[in-house]
Amino acid sequence: MSVADRVRERLATEEGSRVLGIRSDLLDRLVKTIRLDLRAKIGFTIVVLFGLSAVFAPMLAPHDPMAQAFGMLQSPNPSSANPLGTDSFGRDLLSRLMYGARISLAVGLGAVTFGALVGILIGLFAGYYGGWLDDLLMRAVDVMWAFPWLLIAIILVAIFGQGFWNVMFAVGFAYIDDFARLARGEVLSVREEEYTLAAESIGLSDTEIIFEEVFPNTVAPLIVQFTVFTARAILAESTLSFLGLGVKPTTPTWGALLGQGRGFITQAWWISIIPGIAIMITVLGINLFGDALRDAFDVKETET
Amino acid sequence: MGLKRYVAKRVAHAAVVIYIVATVVFFAVRAIPGDPARVLLGGDANADAIAALREDMGLNQPLYVQYLRWLGDLVRGDFGQSVFNDQPVLDMLLGVAEPTASIAALGMVIAILIALPAGIVSSVKRYQWEDYVATAVSFVGISMPGFWIGIVLLLVFSARLGLVPAFGYVSISEGIVPWFKHIILPAIAVGLPYGGILMRMTRSSMMDVLNEDYMRTARAKGLSNRLVLFKHGLQNALIPIITIAGILLGVLLGGVVAVEVVFGIQGLGRLLIASIERRDFPVIQGAVIIISFIFVAMNLLVDILYTSINPRIKYGGGE
Repeated sequence: MSVADRVRERLATEEGSRVLGIRSDLLDRLVKTIRLDLRAKIGFTIVVLFGLSAVFAPMLAPHDPMAQAFGMLQSPNPSSANPLGTDSFGRDLLSRLMYGARISLAVGLGAVTFGALVGILIGLFAGYYGGWLDDLLMRAVDVMWAFPWLLIAIILVAIFGQGFWNVMFAVGFAYIDDFARLARGEVLSVREEEYTLAAESIGLSDTEIIFEEVFPNTVAPLIVQFTVFTARAILAESTLSFLGLGVKPTTPTWGALLGQGRGFITQAWWISIIPGIAIMITVLGINLFGDALRDAFDVKETET
Repeated sequence: MGLKRYVAKRVAHAAVVIYIVATVVFFAVRAIPGDPARVLLGGDANADAIAALREDMGLNQPLYVQYLRWLGDLVRGDFGQSVFNDQPVLDMLLGVAEPTASIAALGMVIAILIALPAGIVSSVKRYQWEDYVATAVSFVGISMPGFWIGIVLLLVFSARLGLVPAFGYVSISEGIVPWFKHIILPAIAVGLPYGGILMRMTRSSMMDVLNEDYMRTARAKGLSNRLVLFKHGLQNALIPIITIAGILLGVLLGGVVAVEVVFGIQGLGRLLIASIERRDFPVIQGAVIIISFIFVAMNLLVDILYTSINPRIKYGGGE
């Protein structure tokens, strides 16, 4: 067996097995956290419940979310047919909430996935190669960072128009710099670790080292940041929808429902208040889950 | 590297960032579909009138000429004129800056007033009921959209109780009390989520500091608990808290925009959204540049301030 093979074997045994590039000991801790930590249990339950009601909205919703009932205009109050009442067009609020969950959760998750993918790639390469590439990439990140997120989102939506994908990218774009900075910092801290140097010494290619040695050892804080930012992205999407810059004015989303109910706040307060409660519970669930993960992975609050 | 050189380097860096921001905004704004001349004259305007107005607005010149001319004006502090009402952009922005700045400032004060005491108590009484209550409250704060908090406050304190006006803004020059009454609800709405994040930062930063050797030394010297906590503890914990507070200013600003809509306050946020609707390029550019400038300048200030205060931070040490 050559020296290189021995190093390779040693690297493999020391790190343990991986699933999707994530070290299995992290996954073990993740599962343990969900089973034992009260915050994680509550958060996980909330997310699963809302996720399921979003996925199965067409089967679960008592009414068609777009169906207008003009008879209801005079009585928007909650009733046995409309448990949460109706909006100003007589459309069932509960059904609209369930359909709204689909947009909020999908846009939130998709936005962060986009921001994380691009940002982590930038951070990995900048941190690993250093030099002019680092300078170039991080200066670009500095510029992104200088735009407050809502400005980026508003301008992007203005340029590319409203719509599911555009809003998702517009929200996610603002998170690229956060992920890039975090990933770069983590790479710098493992760049000089023995396993990285060992991998270099046996002539693994840069891409192999970056994705198989460096990335898996930076992943814990990134997972925590991903969770925290999913919560933020859901709030961001609701803000855009509320401002009328969201998916589409006719699509029921939590932010849009809230905005539309604002005009009737003194007659039918629940039209605005209930979507806000849905947002709050979802975001709270994700935040609780993220906080439990933070402790489980031993990631500092000031880091992410 | 000396402090002076470090400051000079950071200022130069910030200036480059602002310049690139301005350039990106210039071209991004021109990528927004819609002809400002057509928007201004309405859908049924005739082609000649539109062409004449385009010529008048300089829209027929090559893009790079428009860019250079605009950049030259900008360097001289001229942000151009609104295509909507011909007013100088800077005047328009300054005209709406007061309500936005008032809400942001009072919101920040509210956030700090909640976050610092709650965060300190939480860290000192770690894993006791005080900590759990503070943590629960901060989590709820973080999880609510600011504009929704605004609607709830409006419903309770204006519509039901009639304690404060529901809409509009009154300048501070017309009296502190009416000014305060108009901005207190918006400020709470933006301050609560921001305060929630700050409280978590304070707690975590304080917990790090509480474990430091110098804390033990200070106690061993026989200093009172309170003195140790505030003089040695909080002072050191503040550095990361202030840094994060600066970075999260963007979150606060985003909150203000939506809250202005809820309370019908004519501020920077509403001007920006209206300007995008009417394709008022100069105003959009001006607003974005000014907001980014404030954001970068605040963070630069924080950075320089604590680098010069804290001897442990090495200049340009990077990571």
